[in-house]
Amino acid sequence: MNLTVNINIESIHVASALSVPRPISLSRPSRVQVYVGLALLLALSMLASLTLGYKVYSLDQVFTALFAHDGSETSVVIAGLRLPRALIAPLTGAALGMAGVLVQTLSRNRIASPDTLGLNAGASLAVVVAGIVLGVQSLAGLAMAASLGAFVTAIVVFGIAAGAGGLSPLKIVLVGVTFASLSHAFVEVLLTSNEAMLQQLLFWLSGAFVDRPIGLFYTALPVVLVGGIVAVGLSRALDALQADDATAQGLGVPLGLVRALAFVAVAILTGAAISMAGPVAFVGLVVPHAARRLVGLRHIHQLPAAALFGAVYATLADVAARFVIYPVEAPVGAVTAVVGAITLVVLLRRRAA
Amino acid sequence: MSASLTMTGQRRLNPAVPTLIVAGAFFLLLLGAIGFGTIWMSPETIANVLLGGGEKSERLVILQLRMPRVVAAIISGAAIAFSGYLLQRITRNELASPGVLGVVDGASLGVVLFLAIFSNEANALMVPVSWQPLAAAIGALVAIALVFILSGRQASSTIRLLLFGIAIAAVAKALTTIFILIGPNYQATQAARWLAGAVYAISWSEIQIMLAALIPTVLIAGWLARDLPPADLDDVSSRSVGLNLHVYRIAVFFIAGALTAIAVAFVGAVGFLGLIAPHMARLLVGRARLAGIVTSMMLGAMMLVAADLVVRVAFAPTEVPAGTITAIVGAPYFLFLLMRKDKTNG
Amino acid sequence: MAEIPTSRIDVVDLTLKYGNDTVLDALSLPIPRGKVTVLAGPNGCGKSTLLRAIRRLQTGQTGHILLDGIDIGKLGAKELARQIGLLAQSPNAPPDMSVEELVRLGRYPHQAMMQPWSEKDGAAVLRAMDGTGVTSLRQRHIGSLSGGQLQRAWIAMVLAQETDIICLDEPVNHLDMAHQLDCLDLVAKLNRENGRTIVLVLHDLNLAARYADQLVFVHEGRVRALGRPEELMKPELLAEVFEVDAAIMTDPVHGRPICIPRGRARLAADKELNAVA
Repeated sequence: MNLTVNINIESIHVASALSVPRPISLSRPSRVQVYVGLALLLALSMLASLTLGYKVYSLDQVFTALFAHDGSETSVVIAGLRLPRALIAPLTGAALGMAGVLVQTLSRNRIASPDTLGLNAGASLAVVVAGIVLGVQSLAGLAMAASLGAFVTAIVVFGIAAGAGGLSPLKIVLVGVTFASLSHAFVEVLLTSNEAMLQQLLFWLSGAFVDRPIGLFYTALPVVLVGGIVAVGLSRALDALQADDATAQGLGVPLGLVRALAFVAVAILTGAAISMAGPVAFVGLVVPHAARRLVGLRHIHQLPAAALFGAVYATLADVAARFVIYPVEAPVGAVTAVVGAITLVVLLRRRAA
Repeated sequence: MSASLTMTGQRRLNPAVPTLIVAGAFFLLLLGAIGFGTIWMSPETIANVLLGGGEKSERLVILQLRMPRVVAAIISGAAIAFSGYLLQRITRNELASPGVLGVVDGASLGVVLFLAIFSNEANALMVPVSWQPLAAAIGALVAIALVFILSGRQASSTIRLLLFGIAIAAVAKALTTIFILIGPNYQATQAARWLAGAVYAISWSEIQIMLAALIPTVLIAGWLARDLPPADLDDVSSRSVGLNLHVYRIAVFFIAGALTAIAVAFVGAVGFLGLIAPHMARLLVGRARLAGIVTSMMLGAMMLVAADLVVRVAFAPTEVPAGTITAIVGAPYFLFLLMRKDKTNG
Repeated sequence: MAEIPTSRIDVVDLTLKYGNDTVLDALSLPIPRGKVTVLAGPNGCGKSTLLRAIRRLQTGQTGHILLDGIDIGKLGAKELARQIGLLAQSPNAPPDMSVEELVRLGRYPHQAMMQPWSEKDGAAVLRAMDGTGVTSLRQRHIGSLSGGQLQRAWIAMVLAQETDIICLDEPVNHLDMAHQLDCLDLVAKLNRENGRTIVLVLHDLNLAARYADQLVFVHEGRVRALGRPEELMKPELLAEVFEVDAAIMTDPVHGRPICIPRGRARLAADKELNAVA
């Protein structure tokens, strides 16, 4: 049999392990099973986040603390310290997961993610600038700064990468990396001029859910919801966008408009995530791959699956971060960076075959 | 606009001319850099001191404070520029840069590990601090080695290489952060400073170590550079010309990495120079090889000296690291290059 | 057939320039209803550009393209997509997309934004897969399909759009002989059984002659000739448009003209140059 596959030089697609010819239908769990499974996993992870840590608490201690408010030390730790984390982590993971799906579809590149586009860096820079230079203290202010930073970076990156020659993956990555370097440079300047904040900021700059006031969760929640709704609304158009431009246009997809809206969704989702937790590395890279494996390519499923899986992933990473260098807490970004980097390397090597 | 070969093979300008002009500018910049400081040292004073005379305070300032710094900047800038030149020629991609391969993050991890391992409970270093650059160099080399081992046959693709570099860099950064957190307190400040590329408090003994490592590396690099395939020849044609491209390529990457490792080991993260300097050199002297290498190195040295000077001038007394300046200038230039590359479809 | 029936699409005076290059030069062309129109011509003659223009994928042209008398510029994107379907020249989709997911894309023009997937959509997808014989492949990833199967999957996607007019831009270039015939026979069947109007761009002249009801020679951005294959497959015309010196025979199996190239045609100007040299 003659095996020919159309390969568009402009876009790089991952040849997944499942692309070996199979005469039988794929044995994939039904979508309902996937969603229920992930939801259960999420509940369990959140429970783990509440119980495990420097001190391990039992389940009824947790419930008492949450609902009885007896003012005991246990209560303070659980309600004041662990609960915010247990809420912020999944929300951040969900936001980044969805942003990752959007970025990978938009750039037709399975290795792109909000980080490699420099969005993380841009948003962090905005937060650092707002916090140190402009003296912004309010949560809402910092959250807005993060979103704005992500948005501006996204515009610049896509604008430069799109340029006159079209969205080539190489250019997107290069521009993103450059942006990240530039942003880090500025952050370094600001940090060295404000040494007192250095260690604190270093921790935050790696992405962390710890020591975050619960107010951040409430501020970011509506933003993430809006971003998610916009993204889901674009599902069908995004499905078509996975094919080449001519085909998508031939189907009547308004390319420019869809891209712009998806873009905005990426920016606000990433911005919200960063305002809560700082730049958590590679979540937006890893999660979409898992989501696609579980539910297929249709965005109406990819997006919720990515949100659920992202939430689970971030929460579990947060729990792991408490134990990697026990008794000291590692920033969760370090954990996700290592996992993400390994995933990236595996993805890259697999493509070679 | 660039002084490239014309159709008839004539060069627009003899490459020696711009090279000499650059050399002249270099010299002037040197005088300025050594001269500038809280006390201005005039060129005569400098000449005097170098020849063995001058007052004690002048000798102190020039020989112990300023010159080491300037010399270190020259050496690092030149080394990293040469590294960038090699990488850009071997990948046939003017956007290749030593900075993006995760080298710098590997070096910083080396430094942090060094500080973590060799500090006792009183947060004091148990071995001489002049060993630190060695740790940085080792870290950098390990990072390069990892990138190339992991990328294997894909090393010829720029984007693949970049992405492997991103992965290694991310891991290195994560580990660095973790070690800073569990290590002694002073690490954080020192590491952060170093990460951004600080060119201060270099002693002559460290410079001696640098040179000892650098000179043989540069010589090997120069010898390898003779065989660099002509810029316009693609892989297949190069192979048919008799070059064992695969092995040669790995050797070049390794040497470029070594040059970078040595450069950043002493002055921290100054990655962008390795991108800009060879690029500007090409604009000035075209494709001529020797002139290109020499000019790249001079430009790299100049840029780092200038950056350091800017730091001293504009930000005194805060010691903003020189690497920051190079990044702030370099990044927009790089982005500009990317946009231009599109339009000319280079 | 002496008359060409009412045309569904009318290209009127279409001109398109890229910088100094004139790609389409005041080109006028009727696309007859319910027939297979094949656009043929040498490389760079503008046939693909013309097809793209018909499907409104090009910008910057002057002139008109009328669909049933209405300028297509006045139609909304989705509305146009419900009328004219397109199989692009090198269509591309992620290798891990399943056939069914690909075919479903074709329903896009029929769905409003948050409108859920309806039975009508599902039925259309099933019909499309049936009509192209890919139903048994529906769960397979398209990266695992053979060239012929993949092309049928793409055609199924276009079929799911349920358009009366289908444009295909060089759909068989990269396929081997058996699959070329498979694909074109399928297209011909769509035309016969449902009366769809087909516009094909083909590279291979003999295939063009075999499948076309109306054959169009596009040359340097203009319509050089149009009519039945028998009318166009003449040695002088072939020499002029394709620079080929060919003998024309009638294919004994299908009764259509085929050309057998002898070599490059020596145009009058060439002949003079060679005489001097």
